Amino acid sequence: MSAAATPGGAARAARRSALGAYAVTAALALAIALGSFVLHRNRSYREREHARARAAAEAIARGERPAAHLVAGGLVSAAQPSARYPFLRRRLVDGRPLGGPGAPPGDKILYDAAQRAEREGAQVRFADPDGALVLAARPAEGGVAVALVEAPGGPAGLPVGLLAGLLLLGALVAAGGAAAGPAPRALGLAIGGGALAAPSALWGGPAAAALVAAVALAGAAADRLGLLARAGAELRRQRIAYGFLAPAGLAMLVLVAVPLVVGLALGFYNHRHGTWTFVGLDNFVHILSGGGRALSDPLNFYFTLGVTVLWTAANVLLHLAIGVALALVLRQSWLGGRGVYRVLFILPWAIPNYITALIWNGMFQSEYGAVNGILSALGLDRVSWFSELATAFTANVCANTWLGFPFMMVVALGVLESIPRDMHEAAEVDGASAWQRFVHITLPHLRPALAPAVALGAIWTFNMFNVIYLVSGGAPGGASDILVTEAYRWAFERGERYGLAAAYATIIFLILLVWTVLGTRVTRREAPP
Amino acid sequence: MSRARPPLALRALTYAGLSAVCAAVLYPVLLVIKKAFEPGHSFALSPSPVPEEVTLEHFRALWSATGAGGEPLLARFALNSALVALATTALGLVLSTTAAYALSRFRFAGRRASLTAFLAVQMFPATLLLMPLYVLLDRLGLLSSLVGLVLVYATTAIPFCVWTLKGYFDSLPRELEEAARIDGASAWGVFFRVVLPLARPGLAVTALFSFMTAWNEFILASTFLTEESSYTLPVLLKSAVGEYSAQWGLFAAGAIVTSVPVMALFYLLQRYLVGGLTAGSVKG
Repeated sequence: MSAAATPGGAARAARRSALGAYAVTAALALAIALGSFVLHRNRSYREREHARARAAAEAIARGERPAAHLVAGGLVSAAQPSARYPFLRRRLVDGRPLGGPGAPPGDKILYDAAQRAEREGAQVRFADPDGALVLAARPAEGGVAVALVEAPGGPAGLPVGLLAGLLLLGALVAAGGAAAGPAPRALGLAIGGGALAAPSALWGGPAAAALVAAVALAGAAADRLGLLARAGAELRRQRIAYGFLAPAGLAMLVLVAVPLVVGLALGFYNHRHGTWTFVGLDNFVHILSGGGRALSDPLNFYFTLGVTVLWTAANVLLHLAIGVALALVLRQSWLGGRGVYRVLFILPWAIPNYITALIWNGMFQSEYGAVNGILSALGLDRVSWFSELATAFTANVCANTWLGFPFMMVVALGVLESIPRDMHEAAEVDGASAWQRFVHITLPHLRPALAPAVALGAIWTFNMFNVIYLVSGGAPGGASDILVTEAYRWAFERGERYGLAAAYATIIFLILLVWTVLGTRVTRREAPP
Repeated sequence: MSRARPPLALRALTYAGLSAVCAAVLYPVLLVIKKAFEPGHSFALSPSPVPEEVTLEHFRALWSATGAGGEPLLARFALNSALVALATTALGLVLSTTAAYALSRFRFAGRRASLTAFLAVQMFPATLLLMPLYVLLDRLGLLSSLVGLVLVYATTAIPFCVWTLKGYFDSLPRELEEAARIDGASAWGVFFRVVLPLARPGLAVTALFSFMTAWNEFILASTFLTEESSYTLPVLLKSAVGEYSAQWGLFAAGAIVTSVPVMALFYLLQRYLVGGLTAGSVKG
């Protein structure tokens, strides 16, 4: 305040606050510029090096010897049975057999590349994770021309000088504008922050430039409206709260937000043999249209969704009914051995759930399982549990009910303990029956207090991978799969369709999000003040 | 809750019902114990939970299994599991406790958004974070390392800890903290000397669940860990009843060895369960 008392001090304060606003804007713009630079750099590097390797393979196909940077390569012949061991198939490169004792390490790469090119036609790709080796192969007369080429020099470096210069220039413009008055201040921020649009346009095209410009304009507008100053003041005022929040917040940003965004983005790509292609909404359309499968096909999305909803509803209802009933019984003071029952009933919760799931899988086996053992001991027919949807679903629900009811019971016990005893006593004195006391005292207390536990339980059940995967394993034919196991299978058991699996994950996430938002609205309205 | 005892018939019915639930709870456990002590690897069709013969051969086989270098596998896997679970718990608690406290006590801009974010990430199926995490850990060279697995588990442990602890802090009275502030304690002093000691039950339950989740997790572990030396116990157990061989005897013995430590921990902390958990999930 004392600095603002003199005219020079006021200008200095304005400059300082404008530089603060500039720093926020420029940091965002810089992130966009760096992102477009890295994407652009990688793309042009890939194009350049792929073209080099392709040219080398073409030279080999023409019968020339490509000059520079060739690590290994040559004309690889078609595979022929070996003379001595007919079960072995061998290829020759420029007359020399590939592989065998003392062969150079590149031989395996050449052999595999020839194999793939014969199957899929001409191709080119990086042969190592760092992108220092490029492999090109194309069918040619007399076999496959394969070239393993070393990339001379790595990708272009970051133009640090250019970026630093632009940032400094932007800071000067912003500070200068701020010294001249409020309108030039906004203009200075917009121009200073927008300076990075020029290199972004060079690297990422008009889209990246427009994004940078939008960020600069938004920064200037936010500064003009005083939003940035207010955010800064809030940050200073609540610096203890933000300091306390920081460790978890930063960890979440690094560990969760990054993979989450990558995971969401993967849903827009198609994965095939290690290459990703952008396909827009194709995966989502494929899933939501049922993928051209009949509604009764277990791989149809709506079939799986139906099973998932049924699965969630059945389990939550059973958990709730059994858990609350047991909690009510265990609260009765005439009951002997309450402590023993309590300790026994939480046993399933203490056992690792994958072990529980594997045990129930064993118990439901049709040949040696204990459930069929009991059935035949009772003189009933044995059931082939995993060969029909209804029975497989029942087996899953049995296992999950067994392991899940103790949670609800413990939560309900806690809620019941919090109901003041004198309420019940007063009602009893007034002549209320046990049923009336339950309906008018216990139930109104239980409902709002149990709602969050039910919501949490529903989310867990909706995503309960272990039980489905380990008890029924989706049998028969994926019919008892729920959405999460279905998505997992698309990624890891049905030809690495990562993009489709990621789209599944996104849909699951959205379903739960919408459901929770609606659910909290409802429970908030129902909760007593 | 009523002082009066209900009629005899109702009491008999209640005890009968409770006995039935007891039987249902105990039966699968007894089957596993039976299988662990009975010779042979397949489940016998007999539904009786009492073993006909008793042997320690499965435990001995489990104990004497050795890896390529001759090191005992069971001890190795148990050590891996314990390290991963302890590190996940420590990381989760250390990072989340202050955040949970801030979300419970301070009213700052972005509080609602943070709460929603911590809840929403729990809905994204962890199995599907698998692909991006796999790619990222591969780039960092942390694939198949226990450090990588701890980082993966932390993605679910942190939001869970934040929510559970936030709920517990909500249930604590503020008067003590206000009194300490008036007496001149700093925000950190209040947090460390007043709040943390009061929150012990909540911390214990949260730690218990973080530990159990990490100790029990198998699908991420079996996807990420490709070298035998870094396997955890669940990976071992799942492979015992794999697609091609069902060694139920070995599995049952392993299940007992794996479950006993978490069960002991669970029962040790179960008196905190009602207070620590219900506050967390109910007030959430």
